[in-house]
Amino acid sequence: MATKKLRRAKLSQELCERLSRYQITTCQDFLCLSLLELMKVTGQSYRNVQKLLRKVSQACAPKMQTAYEMKMRRSVNPSTAFLPTSLHSLDKVLHGGIPCGSLTELTSPPGCGKTQFCITMSVLATLPVSMGGLDGAVIYIDTESAFSAERLIEVAGNRFPTYFDSDEKLFCMTRSIHLYRELTCDSVLKRIKSLEEEIISKKIKLIIIDSVASVVRKEFDTKLQGNLAERSNFLARGASLLKYLAEEFSIPVILTNQITTSLSNGLAIPVDLVSPAYELSLSEVSGASGSGKRESACVTAALGNTWSHSVNTRLILQYHDLLTRQILVAKSPVAPFSTFFYTIEKSGLVLQDGKNLSNLPWDGTNPALQTIQVRNAALRNALLNITDETPGDTPSL
Amino acid sequence: MQRDVGSLPLSPALRARLLAAGFQTAQELLETGPCGLSKEIGISKEEALEALQVVRQECAGDAAKAAGGSGSTRKCTALELLEEEQAQGFIITFCSALDNILGGGVQLTKITEICGAPGVGKTQLCMQLAVDVQIPECFGGVAGEAVFIDTEGSFMVDRAADIATACVRHCQLIAEAHQEDDHLKALETFSLESILSHIYYFRCRDYIELLAQVYLLPDFLSEHSKVRLVVIDGIAFPFRHDFEDLSLRTRLLNGLAQQLIIIANDHKSAVVLTNQMTTRFGQNQSVLVPALGESWGHAATVRLIFHWDNTQRLATLYKSPSQKESTIPYNITVRKWDHIPRLFRSCDAAVQPSLCSCQTDGFS
Repeated sequence: MATKKLRRAKLSQELCERLSRYQITTCQDFLCLSLLELMKVTGQSYRNVQKLLRKVSQACAPKMQTAYEMKMRRSVNPSTAFLPTSLHSLDKVLHGGIPCGSLTELTSPPGCGKTQFCITMSVLATLPVSMGGLDGAVIYIDTESAFSAERLIEVAGNRFPTYFDSDEKLFCMTRSIHLYRELTCDSVLKRIKSLEEEIISKKIKLIIIDSVASVVRKEFDTKLQGNLAERSNFLARGASLLKYLAEEFSIPVILTNQITTSLSNGLAIPVDLVSPAYELSLSEVSGASGSGKRESACVTAALGNTWSHSVNTRLILQYHDLLTRQILVAKSPVAPFSTFFYTIEKSGLVLQDGKNLSNLPWDGTNPALQTIQVRNAALRNALLNITDETPGDTPSL
Repeated sequence: MQRDVGSLPLSPALRARLLAAGFQTAQELLETGPCGLSKEIGISKEEALEALQVVRQECAGDAAKAAGGSGSTRKCTALELLEEEQAQGFIITFCSALDNILGGGVQLTKITEICGAPGVGKTQLCMQLAVDVQIPECFGGVAGEAVFIDTEGSFMVDRAADIATACVRHCQLIAEAHQEDDHLKALETFSLESILSHIYYFRCRDYIELLAQVYLLPDFLSEHSKVRLVVIDGIAFPFRHDFEDLSLRTRLLNGLAQQLIIIANDHKSAVVLTNQMTTRFGQNQSVLVPALGESWGHAATVRLIFHWDNTQRLATLYKSPSQKESTIPYNITVRKWDHIPRLFRSCDAAVQPSLCSCQTDGFS
């Protein structure tokens, strides 16, 4: 650990005192100096300084494990390596479900089903292990005030009617979902830092942050100078804290993200989601309507390239036509690119494996630049298909 | 022997005292002896003895360098170097087009950097290399072990197990085709279990742990002398946030690069680093470039950039002292990397069925 005091690195007392006179108290300070500087501050010869360096490094360095030991540990507890999403085809492709110990991101245009998915996963995490759950509590950090407890109960009751047969069981489930409403970047970061103790005391088995993008985009306007760097800094810090929690406790972390329009010359316009006219402006930017020409702008996941590196798995939800939506596995270390169709019903998300909608193999592309279909485009395509099939009718818009 | 006292690696306080007392060369110190030295400067006899031992070691090292001996010196003729390079093995990637543009595979004693956009396959290639370095010599491998330093947490053991299983099967097919004794003997020790046990995994959470680990790496490699590959997956991630002082970052990265070059040379192993891409905003456009700045580009000997062209992944050899710049397309299949000829695309439909078969072959 970087902030480990040198005293605990087994350096002698007098050496620590001497170093503290130069303001070197933690391992971080010590290791950032060059050898000559170290010789000066410790007053020791070259050889001795190298020995000290090795001692301090041993205090900070991680422990070694072989891949075999890691595999053995996982196979001892196979059920706790993943959280099945209860969408069977998706689980099969993901080798079991949402992986524990890494960050999973869910991106989609508004209204596609992110919060529904998060609510469903919250229910699943509280189920006993025999039913595919993790038998634990959930931390739900809500930045958009979109969480609805009534919907939670509806999903639970409809998806697992045999298990949640009594009110008692439903209330027990709702008691294990801890909701935090955070509205600024700072408070989100503070909350994440405080999670370590909560996870141990409340036996948390799933962390959901819905959504990271809304709070970041409210506060950072990337057109202003310096904001981009600060934003990336905040995101990177948040990501590394969450990764630490995910790995340390071997739990899944689900984050949701929004969309942005990126023009073909590479600049990204943050979509103003507060204004009701946003959907209109999006279609204007998207270029010619339905003429089949290559669009000059496309909608992709927000928060930039660096964020795409930080998450381990990326699932994209997008509109397909009037009723159905698609879920794309855009980035995953274990799964190939795949797509599935689904609809949102009383019991949450339901995969459509119907005859007329086959799950096509899909050539994915760069997860940071994967285009996402928004509602307007989907409706437009759907209407075009209808007008193509019935040439006699006049399209009315 | 005429070495100046100021250049000896003694502690600064002692050095200052020696200079103040008027000592100028190392020869003078050695002639004075420990007792005389302790009286003249006012230090204890033990300290004086220690100082003289340091001086003696330094002078011996200097003499060896002057005589052109081996050890810390690295002097040889180009012919000797040629013979060494030709005898050296490469770590093959099983993607023949990639091996071709690299000139045979990932070279030992050199640093190779892989830059790429997210999700393009950098960690996959690193896991592939950690398995391929262990291929026995009779199959064309270097029969070494691997150190995997992970800073991003993207190492998936299950995926590594899949790749290892596929590699073992590939070697089994070769052995069946050739039916030679040493092939079969090598296969006895080349199993999923042994492959996974020889991948030494370190998870570094921040740049301090990474620095500490690299300081300790030479000792580790001396204990595990069969290691032929050191992978650092994500050298950019720990250095890209929480750094207000960019000059400190540059200094630390340069120090890291130098240590890695020494490790690569001394232990005859390949060092593979992965880097992220970052957006650089130009006049009217933004462009993706490797992260960590321009000066970091000097650290690696060989640089590969992986990028997307619509739905096709491409690998470009960006910097190499011996190979020409070129680009090849590639695919990541369920088992491992496959190359595809430029004229036609191999069917991605092959992905779905073999996914199921690989699951059943899992280790349990």
